[in-house]
Amino acid sequence: MKMEDMPLSGPDNTKLEALVHDIYSELVEDACLGLCFEVHRAVKQGYFFLDETDQESMKEFEIVDQPGVDIFGQVYNQWKNKECECPNCKRLIAASRFAPHLEKCLGMGRNSSRIANRRLASNNNMSKSESDQEDNDDLNDNDWSYGAEKKAKKRKSDKVFLHFKQLSFIHLSLQIFLFIHFSCGENVDH
Amino acid sequence: MSRESRMRATINQRLTEKGERERLKELLRVKLTECGWKDQMKAHCKEVIKDKGLEHITVEDLVVEITPKGRALVPDSVKKELLQRIRAFLAQHAT
Repeated sequence: MKMEDMPLSGPDNTKLEALVHDIYSELVEDACLGLCFEVHRAVKQGYFFLDETDQESMKEFEIVDQPGVDIFGQVYNQWKNKECECPNCKRLIAASRFAPHLEKCLGMGRNSSRIANRRLASNNNMSKSESDQEDNDDLNDNDWSYGAEKKAKKRKSDKVFLHFKQLSFIHLSLQIFLFIHFSCGENVDH
Repeated sequence: MSRESRMRATINQRLTEKGERERLKELLRVKLTECGWKDQMKAHCKEVIKDKGLEHITVEDLVVEITPKGRALVPDSVKKELLQRIRAFLAQHAT
């Protein structure tokens, strides 16, 4: 036991121990008084009994304490074991596995190796030139749009828009040109 | 003033000066709320108020009814902790 845990012993120290208890009593009484003032004010201001209404309402909104049900009485894991039909592969998947399954199935998630799947698909159907345009898949990454992933649309949009790499090259060249132009211009007398 | 009362006065003064009294008050308040003492006491207050009547209740009425029960209902663990802290303070600052 620590020193502070033991009551102080010895003649002088019984007085000290009595003092300790007196201080403690004072603190407790202070706490009680504080509570009395708090309650009294609540009574006089009219908000002490605010959490109690008529018996009927009290019964209606009582806290529910049953298994399988939350405190409002609603069933909370109702959808845990339901199965959903995947719109892509038409399989029945459990609700909690549905989102990850969709990721893989539609080829849209972070780890769904979408590029590899596309490559496989296009290598089966198309010639080699199509697969060169796989580079901009990562850069035109748009995880949240379902429609943009459809293969027919994607091929068209590849031809219409400039590659991001081409764009950044042009932008960089322009910057360098402007920098050289204006820094040389400072040496000319006007 | 006897030696004892002088010592008491000194200790009490130190308690206030060092801010320890305020800290102890706050500690007690928190502990009593945590352990449900406050809720118990409030329920008892409700009884007293229903007894004496909402309109005529005074602070005195409450103090007289509440304080003895309050003192008795403090849990042992809370009491021990408070006594410990006070003893530690005295050990540091007395003599």
